[in-house]
Amino acid sequence: MKIVYRCFLQMMRTIRHDMMLFAVCLGPVLCGMLIKFGIPFLESFLCIQLQKKTFLAPYYGLLDVFFAMLASVLFCFAAAMVVLEETDDKVIRYLFVTGLGKKGYLISRFGIPSGIAFVFTLILLRIFSLTKPGITELLLLGLSGTCMGLIIALMVVVFSTNKLEGMAITKLSTVIMLGGVAPYFVEHPVKYLLAPLSSFWMGKGMLEDSLWSFLISLMVSVIWIVVLFIKFQKKIA
Amino acid sequence: MIQVKNLSFGYTDKPFIRDMNFEVREGEIFGFLGPSGAGKSTLQKILIGMLPKYEGSVRVNGIECREHEKDFYENIGVDFEFSTMYEKLTARENLRFFSSLYQRKPRSIEELLEAVGLLSDADKKVSDFSKGMKSRLNFIKALLHDPVLLFLDEPTSGLDPTNNRMMKDLILEEKKKGKTILLTTHNMQDATELCDRVAFIVNGEILALDSPHNLIMAKGAANVTYTWQEDGEKTAVCPLNEIAGDEKLRQLIVENRLQSIHSSEPTLNDIFMDITGRTLV
Ligand SMILES: Nc1ncnc2c1ncn2[C@@H]1O[C@H](COP(=O)(O)OP(=O)(O)OP(=O)(O)O)[C@@H](O)[C@H]1O
Ligand SMILES: [Mg+2]
Repeated sequence: MKIVYRCFLQMMRTIRHDMMLFAVCLGPVLCGMLIKFGIPFLESFLCIQLQKKTFLAPYYGLLDVFFAMLASVLFCFAAAMVVLEETDDKVIRYLFVTGLGKKGYLISRFGIPSGIAFVFTLILLRIFSLTKPGITELLLLGLSGTCMGLIIALMVVVFSTNKLEGMAITKLSTVIMLGGVAPYFVEHPVKYLLAPLSSFWMGKGMLEDSLWSFLISLMVSVIWIVVLFIKFQKKIA
Repeated sequence: MIQVKNLSFGYTDKPFIRDMNFEVREGEIFGFLGPSGAGKSTLQKILIGMLPKYEGSVRVNGIECREHEKDFYENIGVDFEFSTMYEKLTARENLRFFSSLYQRKPRSIEELLEAVGLLSDADKKVSDFSKGMKSRLNFIKALLHDPVLLFLDEPTSGLDPTNNRMMKDLILEEKKKGKTILLTTHNMQDATELCDRVAFIVNGEILALDSPHNLIMAKGAANVTYTWQEDGEKTAVCPLNEIAGDEKLRQLIVENRLQSIHSSEPTLNDIFMDITGRTLV
């Protein structure tokens, strides 16, 4: 475990080198502050201007859905970039045959970052969330957000062969975060076309206050993660 | 140290390595020789547990490869045929990081760098290293945790004669310390010099396995080739051990008419060609 931790630290050093760590840590906090202090202000301003009771408030839950994914997606993206670089340098194959081993490597690159992102997300949501979810909801929201980060990281490492491609794939794959919008804006059952996206169920869960939707979201995530992980294993074999 | 029994393996459904058997003893240098694409690197990858989907049994250090735990690698040092370093980091940073990945107490990085003549380049980024420098660095990386078993994939390729010599001396030094070493190479001379035993591998099959000396002896003695003038230049060949019975040669010696005479000992390369019907490289 000590070796896995050392390998994780090595990754953090690389990230710090690229200023990515900076963006990863600061981005969500800045975003959180914007949401916490900017949005309610904007809401009261808009309500007065447009003479409405509420304007943005019904969508606060949707903001939380995105916010729950933000920290994880950023952190896991940074980790994925490091993995791509290690694949480029062929270091990854070497790490598998050291005391670290394949399992240790995967834990240090995906396990630990997801774990930290999860805790970080819970703290951020607790401080900045506009809907003040209860503890169960908070945990489920954080967990689904973390899964989304993991899914995007895996997509990046599976579908790209270098960092440049990785950036492009990241932009493409963030589209799957948008599933959460559908339950809020689409009444028609056609919205269920997005059901294979875990973000869809997160949005539904938030909108309807339904724990079941969150559980479905987690199940969908697990399927994605398993499939992508098998693909990744094939790629690095 | 290593026992391979009825090993079969294929990247696709069709097996590439078929029913292979051999053993590597403790403390010996064992060479895999074969043309490009013969399966040498594939075989090494199986032995270090990177390709677990093989059939048959492969025991390294008493452990079945496909079932290895991660402390399996505490005793194994690997030098791949390509560079496996963080290009953005310096040589020293690389070595420091890789040596932190083992439970064992690591060897001195300074000493290892010194031994391969890279001490003065230790703080250069690996991306600025030449090919030969990279392969030397790759080699000492495999020694960091002082493993008992070394897997070296073409350790001498791309080196100039001086560094080639140095590398071979280092390998022999490790052997003296009691390490077991498996290496692959295209270079017959290196193999003859370094290996206690070699296996000729072609198309995933071992066609011969013995010490270089025995293989050479099995081919029979050296030949003597001589030339003389008789309506132009004539050449004849006779085995060294039958030279007493060669009337023509005796006559030429008596008449003092020999134009040239030389003996040629077979090399491992000749043996390889005889056995496999093809040349190396
Ligand atoms: N990852 C892989 N997937 C599919 N086929 C592979 C893979 N790696 C190697 N092969 C095939 O296996 C065969 C043996 O390759 P290998 O690398 O073992 O040869 P080699 O003897 O080490 O050659 P060289 O001397 O050039 O290094 C080749 O035909 C190669 O195309
Ligand atoms: Mg090879």
